[in-house]
Amino acid sequence: MNNIKYLAALFVGLLLVGSVSAQKDDISPERKQAIDSLALEKVRDLSKYISIIGSKKTPFSEAQRVMDRAEELFSPDSEMGVSSLNKKEITYYKVRKYFERLMALNYDRVTISWYDIHYISDLERQPDGRYVGVVTIYQKFEGAADDGQMKYKDTTKKDITIYVERKKTQIQGRTIEFWDVLLGDIRVSETSA
Amino acid sequence: MRSPHQLLFILVVLSSFQLEAQLLDKDDESKLYAETKQVNQFFRRFNGEEDEKGKRYFPRDRQFRSEKLRKKYIGILFDENNHGINNDLKIEFVDDVLNKNSPKILDFHGGNWFSEVGTSFAMNGKAEPVTIFMELEKDHLGSKWVINKVHASMFEPYFKRDTTKVGKFLHPLSHELDFMNLRKAFNFRDSLSQFTVKRFIPDHLSVFLYEIKNGNLKFRTVEAMKFHFFQIEGWYFELSEFNRPGYNTGWLISNLVKVNNESEKNLLRKYLLYENN
Repeated sequence: MNNIKYLAALFVGLLLVGSVSAQKDDISPERKQAIDSLALEKVRDLSKYISIIGSKKTPFSEAQRVMDRAEELFSPDSEMGVSSLNKKEITYYKVRKYFERLMALNYDRVTISWYDIHYISDLERQPDGRYVGVVTIYQKFEGAADDGQMKYKDTTKKDITIYVERKKTQIQGRTIEFWDVLLGDIRVSETSA
Repeated sequence: MRSPHQLLFILVVLSSFQLEAQLLDKDDESKLYAETKQVNQFFRRFNGEEDEKGKRYFPRDRQFRSEKLRKKYIGILFDENNHGINNDLKIEFVDDVLNKNSPKILDFHGGNWFSEVGTSFAMNGKAEPVTIFMELEKDHLGSKWVINKVHASMFEPYFKRDTTKVGKFLHPLSHELDFMNLRKAFNFRDSLSQFTVKRFIPDHLSVFLYEIKNGNLKFRTVEAMKFHFFQIEGWYFELSEFNRPGYNTGWLISNLVKVNNESEKNLLRKYLLYENN
């Protein structure tokens, strides 16, 4: 379902910029903006999934299903590198492990909300021809006990790697080229904000 | 004390998102907007390539790299808490960068800037700091960060050499004896450096790679990071990340030095790379 949504978004993006240039490696400003929108859509999906996984109201089976969906957003071997204001040392988690830890947090109530801020870097080309960028977003976390006493809250900055790649697909016998976006490693750092 | 430019910037930032639906505290959010969130944003703000909300300008846009925009941004790109950066020097730098006849732009692929990464490794189980210097290198279809140099104080004893003393040496007619005295020289495991040529420059990167290959050295974590810029002719500046309350946060200029000639520049570069021995 998600893939169809992304493909649809992508084709809308392509319509905006006209036909696909198969030879050209540079990304035009218009296409950059279309890719930015696609990347942001994936990041927003991830934000939504994180909120669902973290919520104590989410049944276990539903959380597992959402974790599967969230994992599909990432390229293989993606990791989360987590640090806090008290502990500068980065702790590394595989994406799935990070979600499982989030789900298992020992609070009665967890609220995860997002600042309406994002920052999208330029896209840079890697040696393998894929493009890479970083999207920065901010999350507010609040965990509380049932007695109403606040246990813990923090604001974290999430710097999310995005990989952008030109791919081909067959639709009714025609080869269509499109840009695909996958998420990669995420650096999670607590901020003083 | 904020400059009028900084205040103006903050006001513009505050007013620019007032109409949007807000999920969380506006004050916090305005601080996050003001923060230079990525090194990429430092480049764009320095060059005047984005609006107050971080939306990219393209060369076709009127505002792209405009002097007015750049002037507004450059003022907020310094660490305000660092009183070591003289205000007159700052003004001179900004004037030079925004010079109408030859404005200076930072180029991500322009070279002359590198990263200093403070890491922690475990050497045979014991945590040891290792400083890794990295730079961008072109490769195949794009570019990548590569290790240029490494410095680790744990390697220094390997190369310890006291040049003030006569010490041990291989006498000048050793060759007539097929260098049979090398056997004695190599018994001095801890001070083998005294048998090397004076111009020998210890190379920590080679030892670093060797120790990792042998399984003695294992990566633990990244602890700190900063960048050194020599890209603006006549200047050096350091870029560090400040994670603290307020508006003057994120990636900011933490040191600024005027370099008058190539010799001064090389001296500074050598100092930063621990090549001053």
